[in-house]
Amino acid sequence: MSEITYEPASDPAGVGVTEHLPETVTQKSLNRDVLRMLERPGKIWWGVFLLDLAILSLGLIAERNQIVYGIGAAGHTRPVMWASYVTNFVFWVGIAHCGTLVSAILFLFRSHFRRAVYRVAEAMTVFGVLTAGLFPIVHLGRPWFAYWLFPYPNQRGIWPNFRSPLEWDVFAVTTYLTVSSIFFIVGIIPDAAVQRDNAKNRFHRLLGTIFSFGWRGANTQWKHFYSAYLYFAAFATPLVLSVHSVVSWDFAMAQIPGWHSTIFAPYFVAGAIFSGVALVINLLIIIRKGFKLEHIVTADHIEKLAKLVLLTSTIVGYSYMVEFFCAWYGPSRFERDMFWWRFTGHFWWAAWIMFTCNVIIPLLLWFKKVRRNMTVLFIIMLFVNVGMWFERFVIIVSSLAHPFNPSTWGVNYRMDWTEAAILAGSFAWFGMYFLLFIRLLPAISVAEVKETLAPPMRGGHA
Amino acid sequence: MKIFAPLFPLIDKLNAVPRSTARGVLGVYYYVDDAAAAVTALRQLGHRDLRVYSPVPYHQIERALEQGPSVVRWVTLGGALLGITGGFALCIYSVLAWPLVVGGKELVSIPPFVVIGYESMILLGSLANLLGMLALTRLPELKATAPYDPRFTEDRIGIWVPCAGEAATKAEAVMRGQGAEEVAVHA
Repeated sequence: MSEITYEPASDPAGVGVTEHLPETVTQKSLNRDVLRMLERPGKIWWGVFLLDLAILSLGLIAERNQIVYGIGAAGHTRPVMWASYVTNFVFWVGIAHCGTLVSAILFLFRSHFRRAVYRVAEAMTVFGVLTAGLFPIVHLGRPWFAYWLFPYPNQRGIWPNFRSPLEWDVFAVTTYLTVSSIFFIVGIIPDAAVQRDNAKNRFHRLLGTIFSFGWRGANTQWKHFYSAYLYFAAFATPLVLSVHSVVSWDFAMAQIPGWHSTIFAPYFVAGAIFSGVALVINLLIIIRKGFKLEHIVTADHIEKLAKLVLLTSTIVGYSYMVEFFCAWYGPSRFERDMFWWRFTGHFWWAAWIMFTCNVIIPLLLWFKKVRRNMTVLFIIMLFVNVGMWFERFVIIVSSLAHPFNPSTWGVNYRMDWTEAAILAGSFAWFGMYFLLFIRLLPAISVAEVKETLAPPMRGGHA
Repeated sequence: MKIFAPLFPLIDKLNAVPRSTARGVLGVYYYVDDAAAAVTALRQLGHRDLRVYSPVPYHQIERALEQGPSVVRWVTLGGALLGITGGFALCIYSVLAWPLVVGGKELVSIPPFVVIGYESMILLGSLANLLGMLALTRLPELKATAPYDPRFTEDRIGIWVPCAGEAATKAEAVMRGQGAEEVAVHA
């Protein structure tokens, strides 16, 4: 027998077919329900989209000011020169991690609940990396020289320093953007064919034709497609673990108290998945409600994602405590002083927001009723993302504000309106992509969700 | 959407079925076990180049077709090996071409180069995987090479048998005998 390279669609008992979807869902109804998302947008969508563009414009005006007047317009002062831009970079890279977790890692583990939710998570990955990638450029005094980060033969004969974690970041983040974009677009191919064949207008047929690459669903196409998909997942899994590890090494490789720690890589990866899954839950709750897709993205799916948030919350909480323990038990008095200052010094409020949102509030997820209550869950996930933004803020700003030299301790960082506008603009940038995506391409994988349905058999199920 | 209007006729043309060139028999099935039985029977008749369309991949049909594993893995492996070699080579070449001692470390410092080699392996492996998949699936398929029905991305299974004459008559009979909902002969 030939090797099976894809998940079985013909073994309903084995894949838990009726575990999540009601029996009224059929292959035909799936096409219809998912493609309904692509119909002419209503007033609410337009209102949100225009508001999004207005916020994005504000961010662009702030960026314009920064380019014209220099990086000083952002209000950065020594010693906190990384301030919110690097905070935002780490936050958005973290957000991006959920997509790969759901699409690749859960694919390898044959966790079938991913099928209904992974496209939204993958889109979030691609748009999250596109947002994260802006911040190293925004943070450059002369952003038009961003290409200097890349190794290319030049007349000066100089090369980037490959021993620097910042250069590792360039490789990790650009590889992540490339691979996650490929993974995303390849996954869309069979669904774009559904869009092409069932589009109600010619514009969507045009998009379906382009993104389907001429896919017909032939046996040879499925065979190579799923084989390649398996290898994409196999590459994306170690990639996602490496990317946030590399991001954490931007800090951990430095000697600064609060940064120089061996637990940073796993701690950052867990935190990234924590915040990413929280945001995907937020987006899914809006989408399933807005497009009446509760029968496809069910409460079971959302509950399983909520369990992932709970799991990663405990890992993050454990990491906070290990950090404290190491600071208290270890030999470095600077480290000990740093951690005490984080929770009692100038930025005490940020540290407590972080701890409350990331460790205490998610404890509510131990209750099944909370995990299945969409309103409560939505609010908890908002808190998680606020908490995770503050986690990066605490790590970056409080460590930089309290270095070895006490003479700089009194110079405390305050966020300028330019920084705040660019932060808001980054959310709008991400939102713009997402709002367009859900209206242009299938946001739920029709082909994969069909695999969870019992296949039509004249002789009954195997 | 008016700006895209000039592209619409082209899209219609690309998606049109090339009836004049493709000869054979197209059967449409609803039940997976019927389609799998038809595939087995057609293969026994000597038709080895069947094309089976389905909205999702089905094991029964894959078994009936006796498909071997995809060779895309070897293309992917080649890309990954090229990536890891290239990543290390880039780092080593660059530090030798621009010798800048940092922190008293060796110029050729393998541990930090592992990150570049690792990321390059994943990047080129993934790109090779993509190119291999596109080549093997013959995508992008700009123009349909065989008759096709939009229901194949909905809930129907299609079996296309390229043949003509008496072979087509036999194939049609086999398909009807195995529960085909519709059979169309493209002569």
